[in-house]
Amino acid sequence: MSRASLIRPLEWTIRPAAVRVWTERVDHDRSTRVWGAIRAVANGDESSPSLLHAVTACAQVLFAAGAGLALTSSNGMLEPLLATDAEIGELDELQFSLGEGPSGDAISTGAPVLETDLAGLDAGRRWPAFSAAVAGRGVHGVFAFPVAAGAARLGVLSVYRRQAGPLRTDQLQDALVFADAMLVLALDHRRGVSADLDEVIEAAFTARRAEVHQAAGRLAAQEAIGVTDALALLRAHAYSSGRPLHRVAADVMAGTLKLESDSSPPAGPTDPKELGPDHAEKEQEED
Amino acid sequence: MSATDRRVREVFIELSDTLVDDFDIIEFLDRLAARCSELLGVSACGILLADHHGVLNLVAASTEQARLVELTQLQNSEGPCLDAFSTGHPVQHPDLREAQDRWPRFTAAAVGAGYLSVQALPMRLRDTVVGAVNLFSKSTGQLDADTITLGQALADAATIGIVHQRAMARQEIVTEQLQTALNSRVLIEQAKGFLTHSLSIDVDEAFVVLRSYARANNRRLTHVADDVVQGRLAMSALRSVTPG
Repeated sequence: MSRASLIRPLEWTIRPAAVRVWTERVDHDRSTRVWGAIRAVANGDESSPSLLHAVTACAQVLFAAGAGLALTSSNGMLEPLLATDAEIGELDELQFSLGEGPSGDAISTGAPVLETDLAGLDAGRRWPAFSAAVAGRGVHGVFAFPVAAGAARLGVLSVYRRQAGPLRTDQLQDALVFADAMLVLALDHRRGVSADLDEVIEAAFTARRAEVHQAAGRLAAQEAIGVTDALALLRAHAYSSGRPLHRVAADVMAGTLKLESDSSPPAGPTDPKELGPDHAEKEQEED
Repeated sequence: MSATDRRVREVFIELSDTLVDDFDIIEFLDRLAARCSELLGVSACGILLADHHGVLNLVAASTEQARLVELTQLQNSEGPCLDAFSTGHPVQHPDLREAQDRWPRFTAAAVGAGYLSVQALPMRLRDTVVGAVNLFSKSTGQLDADTITLGQALADAATIGIVHQRAMARQEIVTEQLQTALNSRVLIEQAKGFLTHSLSIDVDEAFVVLRSYARANNRRLTHVADDVVQGRLAMSALRSVTPG
């Protein structure tokens, strides 16, 4: 069995809410405090509170390495859109590439997923590829909170911590309020989507997401397969080569990487061109 | 008052539970109509609810006769329920046999159905009136003040539930718009990538092709993009709008 075949399908099944949205029970003082933290970050920027300020404040309050926001698109795919820094962005992208991780589970169950030790046995069984990759990067705690309005699950707020161990009860409650704040910042009651979210989507696509989907479209045309299968091909290659998905996509669009569907499996990690140490260094510099 | 305190409490708890996944407004108001008849000691109860355009509709009635009387109000645009809705205040009449001048057609229908007095209560939350509750009695005379207070409290509880439920539903629509924004962006990028291969052009040119084709055919960009990635659009049709 090739390593790539370990990858799970990308579409998480959406089940009816098993748990009523927790944020309905949020107390007022906590909400004031959380919005205060978001405003404090915004004031440092001399601007009004935005989604980026919210993920930043969330990471600070929870003593986390960083936090990210991914939104569900069609078929329950989680589009990584916003992160406190490039490293966290790659972790969110990794969940998308692998099709496994706490974010997808949080969306499919509608409840928070709290992983206190990614190097532990439970995490290894639950998300074998994701937990190995992330623990290898020195991140041991991942906490995923659905961003939801009633039954509609909009996305996931993911919090990454270097240290293993649980969040304290008050941190957990804060995180739920942060997830609720994301919703408030993403929506505009007159226009639907807030100007801030429009900008976040635009920035994410300009930076890397556009190429991922372009490459899927290009592969679909080239191999005469569906875009979902084409995306799976890209993800499989990213996984087996150990490279970020958006780099693989960029190479496909530049014509420097040729991928072919099933008849010949995607190039494995043995391909020296893909795994050279100089390559890895170059990618770090670019980010 | 004909109801026990315990029963009243139970009904209020029942009416507050509108934030459930399978909430059904008709079923909810049907229950309200039945509970009003039960707790207020009236002969029948009918409920009119305004839709999103502000037009009143009959949504519940505890008896078939009350249903017909309520429909008469709507058809003739006259009656205590409509007055309570338009003014936002309670409207009552202790003897409908003497109300021909005020509501001639409604009075005829109500008396014909055996109802001799009426009390209408607005379903109001602050400035918003969402509907009205009509209480019919087969005897003449006014309802006592306690009964009216309880009736108004039931209507208020139901109103809060309805307004809250509608706000949630609106939020879900907004959420859908949000996902559409993301999905259309994904689709357009996929279509651009698709065309770079099929038409041997670069991504910027691919976008120009998509946009030109959508404009020339008066179609939405995302629909054209969807057709492209699903293979429903012949490349020859797109080639005709390819630049250069």
